[in-house]
Amino acid sequence: MREIIVLSGKGGTGKTSVTAALGVLAAGRAVIADCDVDAANMHLLMQPEVHKEEAFFSGELAEIDPEACINCGKCEEVCHFDAIHQGAEQYEIQPLRCEGCGYCEVVCPTNAISLHARRSGDFFVSTARTGDPMAHARLDAGADNSGKLVAKVKEEARKLANGYQRNLILVDGAPGIGCPVVSSLAGASYVVLVTEPSASGLHDLKRLVEVLKKFRLQAGCIINKADINPDQASAIRDFCKQQDIAMLGEIPYDADFTAAMIQGKTIVETSEKLNQLMEAIIISIQHKINVL
Amino acid sequence: MRIAFTSAGTSWDAQIDPRFGRTAYLVLYNEETAQLEVYDNSAVQADAHGAGTATAQRIYELHPDVLITGNGPGDTAYKALKNLDMSIYVDAHNLSLQEAYNKFKNKELKAL
Repeated sequence: MREIIVLSGKGGTGKTSVTAALGVLAAGRAVIADCDVDAANMHLLMQPEVHKEEAFFSGELAEIDPEACINCGKCEEVCHFDAIHQGAEQYEIQPLRCEGCGYCEVVCPTNAISLHARRSGDFFVSTARTGDPMAHARLDAGADNSGKLVAKVKEEARKLANGYQRNLILVDGAPGIGCPVVSSLAGASYVVLVTEPSASGLHDLKRLVEVLKKFRLQAGCIINKADINPDQASAIRDFCKQQDIAMLGEIPYDADFTAAMIQGKTIVETSEKLNQLMEAIIISIQHKINVL
Repeated sequence: MRIAFTSAGTSWDAQIDPRFGRTAYLVLYNEETAQLEVYDNSAVQADAHGAGTATAQRIYELHPDVLITGNGPGDTAYKALKNLDMSIYVDAHNLSLQEAYNKFKNKELKAL
């Protein structure tokens, strides 16, 4: 089984559009996993039919038992996160502020406060409109992310690949280089980098490549909007060459990209030109890992 | 010699878990007694944060001579593990414990 992880470093480079396009071209052969759980959006392009939905719990949340609370205010005094205040009738916990540290639980003289697992999002197993199985998740607004939910999405994707006998998992990763990105890299066969010719595009690409080196992962690069800044594009090509990262292809700026997104379609479905470009990119990836 | 594996299961035919921090199990093989010891790592798997360092702590307590894993520990965990007198071998994912052990014996695994 091969896992291709699509990452970008910088957000907004076209990572999800490219992953979804690869998903459409690889229809019937892949499992799709959306590991960008903070801002999950693959479902907008893949319009999955959800078969299984379950709540995801991460971290803890303090709760006050109104029966046992004597309104002494000790919890409010010790809370470092300003999460506890006197409400209309008694002390109340503001869930968005509570960090689940448990200090209030320790100082409560009547044991009225207890910590509970915090519901922080939802996890889904679905069939994408391409007919391929899809694992995805959605973190609640303001919820604490971690590699944990990403690990769960990837684990489910592997189970789906085994169950449906697919030899490819296509993973849309998160921007940045933090915990969710590192978690999405576990078990990766190949990393596809989607960048854009801007100062921040290159800067964030460099940081990401540093992370990939630590895990000895092979990567190839796609420059999206390649013609909007020829100097930066050439700096990216030089950087990739120097780092032994294959150039998989370049996509010129194209209004069809946005048009496809508005229709909830992928670029390979709305533009013949972009379809040909992506087909060529798939062949480049194929040469690298011999799978798609 | 005592050899630790990050493992998705509890026996010789289980796959090496590519994850270090959130590995499902730590399995320890003691060559002297020819016994496998299994340590459930689900408590660390359930942690929202700090999985890498928590597993490094467990490895520290088990103190094996060799660690065989997949993608390898991240930076922070690696800094801690470097202080142990232990060799680390990586990229053993897609292998079973038995296959990884054989490769280790034949010096075919990649040292970190």
